[in-house]
Amino acid sequence: MADYHGIIFAYSAAPEMGELVKERTSASVPFCARYRLIDFSLSSLRNAGIRNAGVIMQRDYQSLMDHCASGKAWDMTRKNGGLKLLPPFGLPEYHSGDYVGTMEALNAVSTYIEDIKEDNVILMQGNLCANIDLEAATACHEQSGAAITAICSPKAQGGVRYRYILNEDGNSSNRLLLNQTEKGEGIASLEAYILSKELLLSMMKTKQQTNVYRFHAEALFEYLNNGGKLNVYIHNGYAAFITTKGEYFKAATDILAPENRRSVFPGDRPVRTSGLEGVSSYYGAEAKSRNCLVADNCIIEGEIENCILHSGVRIAKGAKLKNCVLFRGTEVGENSELECIVADKYVKFAPGTALKGSPKLPLVIPKGAEI
Amino acid sequence: MKKKCIAMLLAGGQGSRLYALTQDAAKPSVPFGGKYRIIDFPLSNCANSGIDTVGVLTQYKPLRLNSYIGTGEPWDLDVSDGGVYILPPYLGAHEQGSWFAGTANAIYQNIEFIELYDPENVLILSGDHIYKMDYEKMLDAHTENGAACTIAVQQVSMQEATRMGIMSVDASDRITEFEEKPKQPKSDLASMGIYIFNWQKLKQYLIEDEKDPDSAKDFGKNIIPKMLKAGERMFAYRFEGYWRDVGTIISLWDANMDMLSSDRINLYDPSWPINSRSQTLPPHYAGEESEIIHSIVTEGCEIEGRVENSILSQGVKVGKGARVLYSVLMPGAEVADGATVEYAMLGENVRIGEGAKVGNEPDGSEEWTVATVGPGAKVEAGQVVPASAMIYA
Repeated sequence: MADYHGIIFAYSAAPEMGELVKERTSASVPFCARYRLIDFSLSSLRNAGIRNAGVIMQRDYQSLMDHCASGKAWDMTRKNGGLKLLPPFGLPEYHSGDYVGTMEALNAVSTYIEDIKEDNVILMQGNLCANIDLEAATACHEQSGAAITAICSPKAQGGVRYRYILNEDGNSSNRLLLNQTEKGEGIASLEAYILSKELLLSMMKTKQQTNVYRFHAEALFEYLNNGGKLNVYIHNGYAAFITTKGEYFKAATDILAPENRRSVFPGDRPVRTSGLEGVSSYYGAEAKSRNCLVADNCIIEGEIENCILHSGVRIAKGAKLKNCVLFRGTEVGENSELECIVADKYVKFAPGTALKGSPKLPLVIPKGAEI
Repeated sequence: MKKKCIAMLLAGGQGSRLYALTQDAAKPSVPFGGKYRIIDFPLSNCANSGIDTVGVLTQYKPLRLNSYIGTGEPWDLDVSDGGVYILPPYLGAHEQGSWFAGTANAIYQNIEFIELYDPENVLILSGDHIYKMDYEKMLDAHTENGAACTIAVQQVSMQEATRMGIMSVDASDRITEFEEKPKQPKSDLASMGIYIFNWQKLKQYLIEDEKDPDSAKDFGKNIIPKMLKAGERMFAYRFEGYWRDVGTIISLWDANMDMLSSDRINLYDPSWPINSRSQTLPPHYAGEESEIIHSIVTEGCEIEGRVENSILSQGVKVGKGARVLYSVLMPGAEVADGATVEYAMLGENVRIGEGAKVGNEPDGSEEWTVATVGPGAKVEAGQVVPASAMIYA
């Protein structure tokens, strides 16, 4: 895999995630008890033997930088290359506002792209929860002879933006459907692409001349219109784009289902993450738990059902929790009753608190709040 | 470069009284308490005490231990002017050299390693104890006393004293007498097998002892009595916290069970972390029909059955209708549907077949002990393994 370089887009502002992205990007939102969303794309790259990657970020990236650090968790701390964090380089024309699209984000770090030593790049999104077998995907790309491979999924959940109509052969496409937010015809794009660095650079240069910024709507659309060949690799496992609170909550609880857990956490392609190691979790004499995912360092004395508990959560005696996601260090006092709550880090629920959200619109409690 | 103190960790013993659990790996690498291996305790204590140079003396089946320790990164011991080093026995010119003949001989054979760091003091540790201890405080006492040797001690019952190294001390805790396993103990202060020596003094005694053909080349039997006889300043350092020797099946099981009582050893204390090397595994999953009561569960576990008063390490699986009671399940152990495991220790990657039954509750007899299934062993579906059994792979 020495000939592939990963590029992860982690600049997404995701305003519909509300309090969850108040101090972080969607790529660094805590997910599935011990991970951040970006761990999935970083681990997919790592598990395919890719050691060099760049993470494109734009604002609110403090938590993302803390998390990625030197890239050690993904074996990307290398003497040459390794993991590079890419905030904007500050080219004059990109000074104001959020990146309009992927091409603008790429152009903002164009000198980095030009210096990539590998012949091929893999583009990935930082807010996609999917464990993709990139070794198989790159093999499929090489075999196809196509200049570009799109990774797609028939079962993608959440904020899917683009779909492809497959050709009769079932593994290529000439038709990209834009603005397909609802489940429609075609197959969902996971916005992950394998292409040569040369092709990517040529797409970027065209864009600069014509002053357009989008990858799908412009660069790729033009490529297909000019008769370019697009190979499709189908990821059959679980995949979810997380762009809203509702999508976050649905994905978090979807992972409880055995088939989704096996797809996201296959034994041979572990999801890696940085951060605290700790003690095992402890269940007290009156604890009850049903259908829950629990990280290490938790102390559970109460009852939990369909819950996701991140590291260091404390559930006191008599507390009853249903369909809740509790981030690191959250404490639930005695006899509290919580349902459909997402509690950010270090929230404290006083004894006897009763709070209820709904699955479509879970109640998100901001970081450090005392209820 | 000169170091104030470096540590030498004796990790070469077979741990023969752990039987099947140490059949393929040395005792310090035996899993403990869900997340740990025994050696995590002395290594973490070193790092937390500011000791950044540790030599680990290995001999018996060291491969697992070597790969576990690696660069020492999990314990923050991957530093540029020290670090953790595996020290196996070696041959010199003309094939001179040998296996380590005793604890003192093991250090003697590594004099050259210690001299690389030119330390004022050397801390000698063993790899079979569970405890949290600030060696820096002990070193301060050692320096204040101007001691040639300081021995960490703990008060024990007179009955226990007959099985341990026992120290008599004067009013200033200077050691006046030392006896290994006395029939009639004169004191209740037992050696914890943790020593700080002034390095120049120790080197002198190691070299002399090496020439003594009658010596067993052991710290407790030879070096310490010789130093005491010569009138060296030797002090006891009293330690009152949790400390357990886990050298036998029942003591290992007991110490694991202690993890469930919060007043014994607090491992949730962020100021004194016990670190370990572990692969990143998903959070543990408690299934629709699971019941987990008064137990410790680690990442990677999948629980569908009933777990009570037990310690579950990484990646343990407990099937539907299975029951696990008062047991220690080491990493990767799997208990299939409908099986029962009680008062047992299951080694790494053990497989318990459907409906099998392992172990039994205490029957009041002297001979009773927990059932042990060694790493990698399989218990077939429906098979019954009685209490006190020892199953090898």
